Amino acid sequence: MKQAGSKHINSLLESFFKLKRDINRWSFATLFILLIIAVPVFTIGIKLFDGPGQSWLHISDYLLPSYLKNSFYLAILCSIITILFGVSSAWLVTRYHFPFRKALEWLLIIPLAIPSYIVAYAYAGFFDYGGIYASFFEVFEIANAKLDIMNVFGLAFVLSISLFPYVYVSARAFFLNQAISLLEASRLLGVSERKSFVKLIIPLARPAVVAGLVLVLMEVLNDYGAAKYFGVNTFTTGIFRSWFSLEEPETAIYLSALLLILVFGLILIEKWQRRKIQYSSIKSANTKPNKKIILPKWQQFLICFTVLIPVVLGFFVPVWQLLIWAFKTFTQVLNPSLFWLSLQSFGIAFITAFFTVLFALVLLYFSKWNKITFIKNASKLGVLGYAIPGAVVAIGIMMPTLLIDKWLINQGLITQFLINGTLIALVYAYVVRFLAVAYQPLESSSLKVNNSIPDSSKILGMGNFKTFYKIEFPLIRAGMLSAFILVFIDTLKELPLTLILKPYHVNTLAVKAYEFASDEMVMQAAIPSLCIILTALIPVIFLNKLLLKNE
Amino acid sequence: MKNTLYLLLVIVAFFSCENDKKSTKDASTLKEINVYTHRHYESDQELFKAFEEESGIKVNVINASADELIQKMVLEGEQSPADVLITVDAGRLHRAKAKNLLQPITNSKIDSIVPSHLKDKENYWFGLTKRARVIVYAKDRVDPMELSSYENLVDEKWKNKIVVRSSSNIYNQSLMASIIANDGEDAAKMWAEALVNNMARSPKGNDRDQVKAVAGGEADLAIVNTYYIGKMLNSKDQAELDAAQSVEVFFPNQEDRGTHINVSGIGVAKYAPNQEAAIQFITYLLSEKSQKIFASSNYEYPVNPNVENAEVLKSWGSFKEDQLNLSKLGELNKKAVILFDEAGWK
Amino acid sequence: MNKILEIKNLSKSFDGGKAQAIDQVDFYVNQGDICAVVGESGSGKTTLIRLIAGLENPDQGKIIIKGKEVSSIKKVLVPEKRNIGMVFQEYALFPHLNVLENVMYGLAKRKDKKQRAEEVLALVGLKEYKERYAHELSGGQQQRVALARALAPEPSLLILDEPFSNLDAMMRTQLRNEIFNIIKKTGVTAIFVTHDTQDALAVADEILILQNGKLVQKDEASKLYHKPQSIYVASLFGNTVQLNKGLKNAFRCPLKEDCCHAIRNENISINVSDCEFVTTAKIIKRTFLGTHSQLLLKLDNGENLSVVTNEAVLGDELKIGFNSNDILAFDE
Repeated sequence: MKQAGSKHINSLLESFFKLKRDINRWSFATLFILLIIAVPVFTIGIKLFDGPGQSWLHISDYLLPSYLKNSFYLAILCSIITILFGVSSAWLVTRYHFPFRKALEWLLIIPLAIPSYIVAYAYAGFFDYGGIYASFFEVFEIANAKLDIMNVFGLAFVLSISLFPYVYVSARAFFLNQAISLLEASRLLGVSERKSFVKLIIPLARPAVVAGLVLVLMEVLNDYGAAKYFGVNTFTTGIFRSWFSLEEPETAIYLSALLLILVFGLILIEKWQRRKIQYSSIKSANTKPNKKIILPKWQQFLICFTVLIPVVLGFFVPVWQLLIWAFKTFTQVLNPSLFWLSLQSFGIAFITAFFTVLFALVLLYFSKWNKITFIKNASKLGVLGYAIPGAVVAIGIMMPTLLIDKWLINQGLITQFLINGTLIALVYAYVVRFLAVAYQPLESSSLKVNNSIPDSSKILGMGNFKTFYKIEFPLIRAGMLSAFILVFIDTLKELPLTLILKPYHVNTLAVKAYEFASDEMVMQAAIPSLCIILTALIPVIFLNKLLLKNE
Repeated sequence: MKNTLYLLLVIVAFFSCENDKKSTKDASTLKEINVYTHRHYESDQELFKAFEEESGIKVNVINASADELIQKMVLEGEQSPADVLITVDAGRLHRAKAKNLLQPITNSKIDSIVPSHLKDKENYWFGLTKRARVIVYAKDRVDPMELSSYENLVDEKWKNKIVVRSSSNIYNQSLMASIIANDGEDAAKMWAEALVNNMARSPKGNDRDQVKAVAGGEADLAIVNTYYIGKMLNSKDQAELDAAQSVEVFFPNQEDRGTHINVSGIGVAKYAPNQEAAIQFITYLLSEKSQKIFASSNYEYPVNPNVENAEVLKSWGSFKEDQLNLSKLGELNKKAVILFDEAGWK
Repeated sequence: MNKILEIKNLSKSFDGGKAQAIDQVDFYVNQGDICAVVGESGSGKTTLIRLIAGLENPDQGKIIIKGKEVSSIKKVLVPEKRNIGMVFQEYALFPHLNVLENVMYGLAKRKDKKQRAEEVLALVGLKEYKERYAHELSGGQQQRVALARALAPEPSLLILDEPFSNLDAMMRTQLRNEIFNIIKKTGVTAIFVTHDTQDALAVADEILILQNGKLVQKDEASKLYHKPQSIYVASLFGNTVQLNKGLKNAFRCPLKEDCCHAIRNENISINVSDCEFVTTAKIIKRTFLGTHSQLLLKLDNGENLSVVTNEAVLGDELKIGFNSNDILAFDE
């Protein structure tokens, strides 16, 4: 008995030594960064223990079924439509030669640049009485033609058409890197192109598609503006309703928690998918440029036309509508202050993108350098912020940071808030919210770098930082750039969080557009919306140039 | 590496100048006022600018929805930099008062301008402009003689004829609150249920969309706020103009309590660092000059009785207002939302 | 002799102890030796060298390099301070650097780095390729660059992970000799991991056999071949037939029942009668394999036996046998 006891103590002592040995500065740094990121999540989480508010019964009786139903429909419909558009266009663009292919390749990303609530307004206007659709029918003397898209199906269409690029981007990356050589192998085995695509490429592309789809679904579940305007009650509109209309933050947090569980489920599915592919994926990326298939001219035009459909629906139609509105309102809205607004939005988005990519990199690599498995796994939790509605993130940030601010003031160290009401809180919140957006492309591009490459560098005498700077940084640059741009665009579009946390003197284009729209001046919102698109285009074009240069 | 360093330097510079620019709490060093407002009209911006020029007090504006602003003030507590809170309905002001975010202001000038039913009983907040929630009907299909009150809208004859926006909208919630206050809870619930039954479509879009739906023939009646009709009638968009011209405004409940009105109002924050400036700001907004701007550019009814209505509003004639104290709207707001849900009003 | 590497009671598991990769391994390597680590895939070979390189931390035990303790449960010296050279299975050349830059990479602290890099490149015979990038080189060339890169900083220990697995059979032998000639020339102590015993037998001074994370035998090549300590070790070096009860009866050999015995396929003689133990067999199936063929036999007592032979066998019946001094005995 005594012996067993001392054995026990010995093994305890051993684990302690090992913990002391394995814990390094990266472990602490990872934990510290995780803590910073997790603070708002924890703040909200702690509130869960307060129990749901009195209205919980009311909500679960009258509203929850329709929230569940609508969110479910939206998720299913959006998955179908975004996969349809995203995968087909990615495949056609990587596999075939056709006119304007190069231009379309990046035009397919452009729909991301328009906030989905603006797309919703534009489409509602497009199909409205006296809208473009109606005037088209007037030519045939059909008066008052109207297509009612303000329902759950219309909402699914609008959200899908503005979010499908997420699926397109990740599917295209997969097709570019691996699919072509696999397909060629399959063709050599005598399987037809179409059959190879269905039997081989589609199943193999699934993890990449699912990765993009998870981003789409998180955006769909978080959408507030479009759903509210279309009169579709979802979880997120429910969160706002119970938080603000019913004055019960507890209930809102309960709903957020439910939403969080949904999203967490999605993330788990995605992780599980990716784990499966890790065992089966072929070793290193095939770097030889793949040759595009050249079809007869008429087929080329057919393909061009097919690829154009999502671009037209996701970009040109809403922009057309916005331009018409802009034309009607420019005397009222257009003034030099818009330029400053654009510049401010650009600056904020730039800083946010910089810090978000930095944090994502730090989280990704610090957790890799740390030797404790538990911390490695925990680092994955850093991306949860994306699942939380912007408004909730904002509140989750304000509560703890105000404590710090107030403490500092009481200590007499500062005379005014240091964090709240300044860019610090705003950028902090953006980073928490968009970390996942940056993390995904970084993670997938770092997975492409075989572990033996950084290991070689370390064995050759370089430390972690030097290895990162000399080896990994140049190799994952493309992933970093796309991470940067995705966050940049998301920040430009972001609304609820910006509304709550922005400093006095700062204003963004999205806020301006929202102000107009929420005052039922949808037409006036067109010009700031167009400015968002133009500002978002700057880095997209820049990225495309850089990628082309690398090719 | 060098480039990264430069980038970092630029970012640090951006941050620091941001902090420098930030409002100081020492009113003595710089005269200014921090405005939390839910109103984001261009005309308001111009009014603020005019105030800055006239008084030399700098106006810092935070725009967000009233709910978010209130939440922000709650969290900021004593250190809140907010001086005044402006909302687009009385209910939210009442909520701010209930949450102990406002302070009472006794100022004879303000008292002399704002009628008693348009302000808080204990002077915690004051209305700036009025808006009436009215019925609009299709000129060619509806005989106004058939219309009478909000309560009358549940009549069988309007089955599938009414459009109205979602119950998450504060104007609807306030209307519901006024009905609860006037008719009682049970009657209000039955009213909402019957109204849902008469709806031509499930609630969606904003007030302008409701008018367009009536103009397009989807419905005969819509419940909307007056100033949207004013704006549509002055719109540059032909479709909106046509839509507004094909409908007519009807002021309900003229035979009994009067048409439901609401105010866009203002209150001084409890911990306002610039209290004096805040009062100066309020009196400026209530002055005839400012009220005229509210009336003419935004088609709202001014609270200052000395200021005339805009031409469009005049053309609809005068009407009897519901004299219900607007604090009631705030007290009954939550009840209204619950009843909406129970009645299935999306 | 001078021990350059000592491993003491080393253990490592993954997935929280669920998968034991290295289980209480003990051995040492002498200065200047070439040591092969052999085992099936999953036997823990790669984990062992990653532990030596400092890329993994051990659960138990110690690693001592040149008398200095580099890994223990109390501390682990980071890989960059171990002065080890490593050639990875997939070569792991830095794709964005050219050959010369790759080789100079580990020489950052040296003044004569360019000179040294060119010297090593000359050693591997790739001096004129220094401006090329990895993707412009053949597999064999890439491997020589990787070797040059690892040798450039003059490591006290060179580790090669499955150095020939990515090469085709034709090149393999030639390259194997080239590589080890270079290594021998530099006099560096080397450990290389392989699943192919031919590689190990051909070049290693000493061979370590790993099975399920355990070190089962460590010996010179010939000793390992002639005196394997288990059937597993024996079968790693060619087809081995375990002599079960049925076979022992068929050949009428009086071996102890409680002891485990085996005979190498090449020691089974066909169509001879001058062996100590002989039996007759019927050929059930022949498979032609080029230089040799495989025969499935049915022995006179009904036991099945599969043997490989390079002799031409005529007819359906034959005599087979073996001698007692070819019998391998293990106590199991």
